[in-house]
Amino acid sequence: MSEDRDVMVLDDEPIVGDRLRPALEKEGFTVEVFTDSAMAISRLKEKSFGVLVTDMKMRGPSGMDVLRFVREKAPKTQVIVITGYATIETSHEASAWGAYQFVAKPFKLKELVKLVDKAAKAATA
Amino acid sequence: MKPADPPATVRAPGAGSAGPEGRRDRKDPNLAERLREAEAALVRRPRLSIRLRMVASLVLCFLASGAFSLGAFILLRKAEVKLHLLQTLERLDDRLLRVRALEDEKILSRADVDRALDGVRQADALLRSGSHALQEADRAIVPALLLQLGTCDRLLSVVRGAAEVGGRPGALSARDGAELRRAEAEGNRLLEVIIRRERSSLDGILRFAETGPLVLLGLQLVLFVGIILAFAKALVNPIRRFEGYTARIAAGDFSFITPTRRYRDEFSDLAVGVNQMLGELQAQQHRLVKGAKLAVVGTLTSGIAHELNNPLNNVAITTEALMEDLPTLSDKEKWRLLQDIYFETERASEIVKSLLDFTRQEKGEMVAVDLADVLGSTLRLAQNEMNLNNVSFTCQMPPDLPRVRGAANQLRQVFLNLLLNAIQAMPGGGRVWVSAGPQDEGKVCVEIRDEGTGIPAEVLPRIFDPFFTTKEPGQGTGLGLSVSLSIIRTFGGDMQVVSSLGRGTTVHTCLPRADEG
Ligand SMILES: Nc1ncnc2c1ncn2[C@@H]1O[C@H](COP(=O)(O)OP(=O)(O)O)[C@@H](O)[C@H]1O
Ligand SMILES: [Mg+2]
Repeated sequence: MSEDRDVMVLDDEPIVGDRLRPALEKEGFTVEVFTDSAMAISRLKEKSFGVLVTDMKMRGPSGMDVLRFVREKAPKTQVIVITGYATIETSHEASAWGAYQFVAKPFKLKELVKLVDKAAKAATA
Repeated sequence: MKPADPPATVRAPGAGSAGPEGRRDRKDPNLAERLREAEAALVRRPRLSIRLRMVASLVLCFLASGAFSLGAFILLRKAEVKLHLLQTLERLDDRLLRVRALEDEKILSRADVDRALDGVRQADALLRSGSHALQEADRAIVPALLLQLGTCDRLLSVVRGAAEVGGRPGALSARDGAELRRAEAEGNRLLEVIIRRERSSLDGILRFAETGPLVLLGLQLVLFVGIILAFAKALVNPIRRFEGYTARIAAGDFSFITPTRRYRDEFSDLAVGVNQMLGELQAQQHRLVKGAKLAVVGTLTSGIAHELNNPLNNVAITTEALMEDLPTLSDKEKWRLLQDIYFETERASEIVKSLLDFTRQEKGEMVAVDLADVLGSTLRLAQNEMNLNNVSFTCQMPPDLPRVRGAANQLRQVFLNLLLNAIQAMPGGGRVWVSAGPQDEGKVCVEIRDEGTGIPAEVLPRIFDPFFTTKEPGQGTGLGLSVSLSIIRTFGGDMQVVSSLGRGTTVHTCLPRADEG
């Protein structure tokens, strides 16, 4: 039951991780923050997380690549995809690959924390 | 492994016909004003229409042949009078000789005297009325001849008077007889002098009448050649010039026609009309460039939205965190959050500013432009589009890059088009190499190279055509390269594309150096 409270936040904007980490920790999550998707993937190989929050467009592997990787490696992990510019195609593609939720920037911290909470519960269920 | 295709090259169409200086030196952006100036310059010159010149040449030809005909007529008239005179004088000469011979033999008949008298009177009348037809020298001796003829007339009349009564001509007194003989002899002598001279003069006239037409032919030839040359100059030269104009217009140089001659004619009216057309083309070109610019902004929209949403999101969540945790945060933490907000706001406004800079209408004025600046800001503008597509770039420029003549914003538009083409040619990501450097002939060249799909050889010749695109609607308008080329041409530069299929594409853009100092 401890595993699903582990959250990974991946966004090449460092401020996103900086703000999400304390907000999520306040709710009792264990948070690991990454700004580099390649490094995040290698971390995902070692450890499974209850929830993954990832940006879509990044240098190197994109959020979609990370999503696909997680779907194969850790099917139980719930993935929340955030993006700076939502198009119908990307959101379709994300749901096709089994993303838990698709969030457009700018988002509200509180809402995202609530969403992570819900996703973590879904992961345990 | 299949051997690589050799790279194919396309020079921009109509290359080599760089615009005339006139355009580059003109700073006035006001199209209508420039059009009016060009028209005034064309119309200001004195008018010498081709029609007028044509009429004048025909009149000249007519006058020349008229003068010749008149001359020929007068000459023939003179010859005719001379001939008549000559005949009369010759006849008289004969008769006088005969009278003299028969007098000697004393067998002078009445008819002979009559004929001689007749000849004397005819010649007398003719010499009095028609001596103008004679040579100058002959006219001088006419009075002497008339004197002798008068004597002959008087004395022969006496001789004949005697014959009236008796049937045979009577004899004169010894003194009168001697006088008559002397007069007759002198008359014969003078007549022969005149006859000889007039004959040769008549011969001269006849010879002249023979050679005259040949001379006329020669003169006419010279006249016609002169007229033809003049008209060739008036007709063929302007047509050649207009051929040149159409060639450069076809190559995209829409600068106005300026006067090249001192006079204006029908071709100047044509030039005024062509200039109006060129004005319209320039306006059209302007609209096209503007439209293409907005289309590029459209392509950038997703990148820009992304680019703007990131700082906005950062500001939003940082503010939220600050509001939420205000009581529990340390001063240091508050300071850090506020700093984040400050810098993210800055970042957002930079993005908006670069976009506005790009879309702003600038006066098309040509100035000395720093290519490093232009390329730098263009790369910033395209940065997000590159991030989104996993494209990175390498930029290589010497620090002392000479400036070029142009307008910064239009050059930004060109390089943005080229960068976007490069990005779009690498859907799976890749690298773009941007470099610039001076070249010979006072040019500075920018090279933008990608490792994308490349351009098939059959497509290559068409890529500069307006509206030619191989991209999906919404991805490309087909205006990028054509508008870029027209901008570069306006600045007196040129573009060249080298591509090898599957390996990448290189676009060379060369601009004339700004001559500073
Ligand atoms: N760097 C490039 N790599 C491959 N193809 C290119 C490149 N640049 C231009 N092209 C080809 O030239 C065509 C015309 O380009 P352009 O005038 O910029 O219009 P657009 O990009 O809107 O299609 C493009 O559709 C593409 O086929
Ligand atoms: Mg293009």
